[in-house]
Amino acid sequence: MTTPGTASLWRNHILPFTLLVTLLGVATVIGDYLLHRLDLVWVGRYLGIPGTLLIIGSLTYSLRKRKVIASGNVKSWLSMHEIGTWLGSLMVLLHAGVHFNAILPWLATIAMGVNVISGMVGKMLLGRSREHVQTQREHYQLRGLSKVEIEQAVFWESVTFDAMTKWRKVHIPIFIVFAVLALGHIVSIFLFWGWR
Amino acid sequence: MSKTLKIVLAANLIVLAVLAFVHPHLMVGPGKLIPGHSKLEKDCFACHAPFVGTTTERCTTCHKPGEIGRLTTLGQPIQKPLTSTPFHQRLLKQDCLACHSDHAGVKRFRIKGRFNHVLLQADARKECQSCHKSPKDSLHQQITGNCSQCHTQEQWVPATFDHAKYFVLDRDHNVKCVTCHLRNDYSLYTCYGCHEHSSESIRREHIEEGIRDFKNCVECHRSADEHDIRMPGRRRDGGKGHDGKRNDD
Repeated sequence: MTTPGTASLWRNHILPFTLLVTLLGVATVIGDYLLHRLDLVWVGRYLGIPGTLLIIGSLTYSLRKRKVIASGNVKSWLSMHEIGTWLGSLMVLLHAGVHFNAILPWLATIAMGVNVISGMVGKMLLGRSREHVQTQREHYQLRGLSKVEIEQAVFWESVTFDAMTKWRKVHIPIFIVFAVLALGHIVSIFLFWGWR
Repeated sequence: MSKTLKIVLAANLIVLAVLAFVHPHLMVGPGKLIPGHSKLEKDCFACHAPFVGTTTERCTTCHKPGEIGRLTTLGQPIQKPLTSTPFHQRLLKQDCLACHSDHAGVKRFRIKGRFNHVLLQADARKECQSCHKSPKDSLHQQITGNCSQCHTQEQWVPATFDHAKYFVLDRDHNVKCVTCHLRNDYSLYTCYGCHEHSSESIRREHIEEGIRDFKNCVECHRSADEHDIRMPGRRRDGGKGHDGKRNDD
């Protein structure tokens, strides 16, 4: 028998996480099938470029969170980070296809996959953290903060929550491995490919 | 990030970087090279210029355009040439990558068996039989040259042979060639290959109309349209015709 807490954990966190990962896999298979069916395999070859740009663009959130960038709503940047990395990963997966040619790009693809799953775990943990810091909301209301200010404050409380800090210690090294491997692949393409 | 983790990460990435330089064909090469170039698999820059890619100039350093299809890169005569006639000498310009890709992963993106004849000089484009063998069927064995009358240079089928000039293939005659042209012998045909026409019923109908010479059906019937009957050499009022509606050629 499931307790209400377990049910809410499943419904609010594990189910959306599972759906997002499954959707990424299904979208990749369908996209790859369509590209082959419509004789557009060459499109997949170049999808790596917009995919990489989307992933790089979505890193703006990290800069905003670390206050390298001062402007913009941090929650919106987070949404863009989530959407950008999911869509970018889909494009890179379509770009990779099921073609086993060289080891380095495949290591980069695997690292990207681990990175995406880690990111989704982070999203799940952030949701959990938000629930934990909801009690802080009343505290901020009592201090007379505006609604927008309260939302911002609760958000910062949740991203700095202990579980999130621990998760970040795993997510960042995974990202660095992915970034270096992807960079190796990109450099090798620039080095050997004839852009014409 | 702890210092130990940083060292482990850095060490792993350095190992991968070293492997990329020692075994580039495994680490970064887009698939196996063609057998003729397999000895070059660790020497990427034999064919690739840094940041430029593969150029025709690099290919023609070893593969002299005048010798392609005739001599190997070592100057030996080719024992079993892939084409009966060397044609690289008759290309409009030397652009090796327009047709060739040496890595299996890159070849995948090329459409197999598709050669763009526009790359050939105009006079070479007309000499189909110097590269292509004529099919063995009886139709093509009767024909020499003039392939472009029926076929395009983009693809062999569909051919533009106008069957309607001989007989219109309407929805009732949308069948395999062999139904009418037994054993794919296009010099002959039969109208008795399907259940609709039998020699007995055809004989009876024509005798009723006073027609005794009805062996060559398409001489009068160029389509299934019963109003479109041509009777060469016979007058319009010459005896009873099919419904009295004849179109004499």
